[in-house]
Amino acid sequence: MKTGLLLILAGVAALAALPFLLSQGLLNAAIQMLIAALFASAYNLLCGQAGMLSFGHAAYFGVGAFGTVHAMNAIGGAGLLPTPLMPLAGAACGLVFGAIAGWFATQRTGTYFAMITLAIAELVHSLAPHLKGLFGGEAGMSTMRMPAWGFDFGSTTQVYYLTLAWVLASVGLLYLFTRTPMGRLSYGLRENSHRLRFLGYNVHGLGMMVFAISAMFSGIAGGLQVVSNESANYVVFDPALSAAVVLNTYIGGVTMFLGPALGAALMTFFGYAVSDLTQSWLLYQGILFVGVMMFMPSGLTGLIGTTGRLRQRIGLSKLLPVVLLSIAAALLLSMGGTFAVELLQRVFSQDYRALARLDPGNPWPPVTLLSRAWSPASMATWAVPVVLIGAGAVLAWVGRRSLNQAVEQTVDQGAAT
Amino acid sequence: MSDPVLSIRGLRKAFGPTEIMRGVDLDLLGAERHALIGPNGAGKSTLFHLISGHLAPTAGTIHFDGHAIGGRTPQAINRLGLARSFQITNIFPKLTVFENVRLAVMRPHGLAYTFWKFIDRDRRVREETHRLLELVRLSARASTVAGEMAYSEQRSLEIAMTLASDPKVILLDEPMAGMSNEETHYTAELIMEVTKGRALMLVEHDMDVVFALSDRISVLVYGQVIATGTPDEIRANASVKEAYLGEEVSE
Repeated sequence: MKTGLLLILAGVAALAALPFLLSQGLLNAAIQMLIAALFASAYNLLCGQAGMLSFGHAAYFGVGAFGTVHAMNAIGGAGLLPTPLMPLAGAACGLVFGAIAGWFATQRTGTYFAMITLAIAELVHSLAPHLKGLFGGEAGMSTMRMPAWGFDFGSTTQVYYLTLAWVLASVGLLYLFTRTPMGRLSYGLRENSHRLRFLGYNVHGLGMMVFAISAMFSGIAGGLQVVSNESANYVVFDPALSAAVVLNTYIGGVTMFLGPALGAALMTFFGYAVSDLTQSWLLYQGILFVGVMMFMPSGLTGLIGTTGRLRQRIGLSKLLPVVLLSIAAALLLSMGGTFAVELLQRVFSQDYRALARLDPGNPWPPVTLLSRAWSPASMATWAVPVVLIGAGAVLAWVGRRSLNQAVEQTVDQGAAT
Repeated sequence: MSDPVLSIRGLRKAFGPTEIMRGVDLDLLGAERHALIGPNGAGKSTLFHLISGHLAPTAGTIHFDGHAIGGRTPQAINRLGLARSFQITNIFPKLTVFENVRLAVMRPHGLAYTFWKFIDRDRRVREETHRLLELVRLSARASTVAGEMAYSEQRSLEIAMTLASDPKVILLDEPMAGMSNEETHYTAELIMEVTKGRALMLVEHDMDVVFALSDRISVLVYGQVIATGTPDEIRANASVKEAYLGEEVSE
């Protein structure tokens, strides 16, 4: 517990120091990471803690965003709602819309609940372009950050600190919520809502309130994005955003409170860093998600817990080689996989096909990758990913075997003593 | 004895063309222990489902403490003071034993939609939770994940959760299923103790327990009560012997 608190304090200090360390571009990416982290934490209240898998959470993010745009344009940063408090408008809109949508969605559970959330999100998504007054049509709506409280909010640094303050406060509140009676009940809702009924609880009302609270914090995230971008477009209702928050949450891991936030920050950073380098970012995101779900269903943060338990069980000296082997295997597999994906992507691209048609004598012109030319017709080219993936698979197999041996040994020792 | 706290008249339940309850009349008196016995498929669990609000009756009335509760929601019936346990263990399997009982204790303390105070700080809830855990001999297991306990311990946990709301009427559906002799003995004594001053309706297959524990016994066969009486009367009843007890002996 002590070390956990220290880690969190260190993390907060590092976040506070970021503007002194990063370029403007990276600081902008950090703002997006923080917003995605808050959105994923809000989503996890519903999905991870209360066990309600929503497929349409972009709706509440988007409603919060447009609520904030309208508030900023109407109030202009004066009076009771100056710029730093603008996300409150997003929170209010998220809460109200979440309560209405939640009333319908929580009438059912499981698959039916997921379908209703999907339908509500699609409804908003297809309605939004037609309501030009409300959502600004194709062009979207723009706004301005007005100075308040002695800040002009003209620099990325000031926007970063504003976002950081909101995200820390919101995630802190979401954590405190888990320790209140209603927060505990949300776990009961996930585990066995049927039993809760026979303990005298109104399960529908409870589910609706958890839904509304989750939507409220999603609305804050949407509002923060508007404060940062000074605009909102109906694209925020896109199903891709609903999907991204599900993927981020599960990649980060739903079993730990901060898992979804870390997962979302990581994936947003990768998206920012990698989307310039490759056209296949969505494919990588998908592969990563499938890989995490297949091999570590408790997510990336769940891996920390698993490693800790293994350390207690087989000792650090035996665990260390396994960890090193696993990291090496993961690196080799991702290198091989990336190489193969990029090569294939280039060979199958329109440009390449056009290039090949230009010169009928040479149907497989070389492609450039890692500032080298590779011939798709040569065996040596394909040997690279094959060798990388093969070596990674061998290392993974060796690592798994030595882990199994170490575990068996401790079991034998346990039996002997 | 006192007036009936639970009064069932002409209760019927049909699933499509199949009638499970075929006109049940039954009274549960204010402070009696009343066992419900009958062969498998007689409708004992269905009767519990109808009383506790899990199912709505097709016809007939259920009066509890002056309220007509037939067809009301489970949470409404629970709040009136009627709590039940389940034949198939029905707990929060991935939460700790302490957390399981605390969830049951919170509601009677008026903590349901509260998100402005910390649950750990509430001394009354904590003490009541510990008291219940001690009662069912699970204090040592407080921090165990409930789903990882032995089946009989989960049955004890069910009893603790059922008692949490301090109900007027308790329905226990096979509380001793899967328990050892010693555990059955302890649980029988526990049930005797905790049901002082309240009414109990019990479904149980262990006939020794039923006859030792009950003030009155009702025999349910094919959705109808064929006899109600004291243990001695039931033992002596010819039609009961034929329909149920004789069957047990011959097996």
